Amino acid sequence: MVRQIDPERLPAGTYLNTGESANRALRVNRLCYDLKEPANRVAFEADAEAQMARYDLDEEDRQLIRNRDWLGLVQRGANVFPLLRLSQLCGDGLAGTGAQMRGETLEQYLATRQAKGS
Amino acid sequence: MARIIGGLGSPHAPSIGALIDQGGWEQPEWKKLMDGYRPMQDWLAAHKPDAAILIYNDHVTSFFFDRYPTFALSVASEHPIADEGFGPRPLPPVRGDSDLAWHLAHSLVEDEFDLTICQDMPLDHGALTPISAFWPNHENGWPTAIVPIAVNVLQFPVPSPRRLYKLGQALRRAVESWPQDKKVVVLGTGGLSHQLHGERFGFKNADWDHEFLSLLETDPEALASLRTQDYIERGGAEGAEMVMWLAMRGALSDKARKLHVNYHGPLHTGFAQILFEEPDAVPEKVSI
Repeated sequence: MVRQIDPERLPAGTYLNTGESANRALRVNRLCYDLKEPANRVAFEADAEAQMARYDLDEEDRQLIRNRDWLGLVQRGANVFPLLRLSQLCGDGLAGTGAQMRGETLEQYLATRQAKGS
Repeated sequence: MARIIGGLGSPHAPSIGALIDQGGWEQPEWKKLMDGYRPMQDWLAAHKPDAAILIYNDHVTSFFFDRYPTFALSVASEHPIADEGFGPRPLPPVRGDSDLAWHLAHSLVEDEFDLTICQDMPLDHGALTPISAFWPNHENGWPTAIVPIAVNVLQFPVPSPRRLYKLGQALRRAVESWPQDKKVVVLGTGGLSHQLHGERFGFKNADWDHEFLSLLETDPEALASLRTQDYIERGGAEGAEMVMWLAMRGALSDKARKLHVNYHGPLHTGFAQILFEEPDAVPEKVSI
């Protein structure tokens, strides 16, 4: 049988959605997933703390969300697609979310690209 | 009996859908990408396929990680437009083909692909971006029925490249045993190289993308023989979704001919389009 993934040899800066981190991140992923419902977007914007409590997030996840720390959330197991609902709700577009994960400003990241659209 | 007349590959990034909704076909930064759809639109308008089997991935919109299917086939006669978090796109509901879909379900399960059968499956950008690009005059409905198959490429373990290639081969057997005189196309979506998370965000690899496009035509077996790890290393973690194009290729015969290919990757992702035609595909009218 061919082993499809070598978890210990993934490219640096890559976090696959699997294993214990996927279990641990289920609640934060659910909070993000549920933002597809307009009422949940309104609820998060009105009272983020209450919404995080409602999803029973642990204190570390809550602090990462308070800090808009998208890289920290991904490192803890959040999947980027539901996470983008949250980051964009908080005002960071795809490029801005990505720039932060690279440790760059948006301007620095876009300077590495030919196109400037989002 | 039904037959497969062609296969088409397209990216499925939501930014392309937004561009279409804004009428941005001539937007200078994206014109090379958008122009890549023109020959595909003309080919589809000329050949008028009755149904399109759409291989895509849901982006945690219709499915959540609590119960996440590896392969999910929609047997619905209509698909709602999903709200992914920013309001739904202004598109009409997407017509399905229940008769074909149920036939595929039986044939694929007998062929040892134990799918999740879905009767209510809203579609997100993974599906909507390519179809809105292929059929740009969709305001009043879709000319071709869409049968979506969602593939898990997000929560690992995900199906291997060879499994996707075999899914395509099983789809060909399924279509060819459908007792209807209908024309079917298979759509592979996603990619090509990109990574949207972690410090490796923004990773692209145009050399690998071009090699993939070339091998997809000449030696898909070589692509099926690679490991998921190879796709992640060469094309980024999210770019590994390009294995979904192998299902499209696997559904084609070895006589399928490449009519068109295009590549444009100026931002986060290496975008590509490709069009294969089977030898017995006959246009209903000459395209203009």
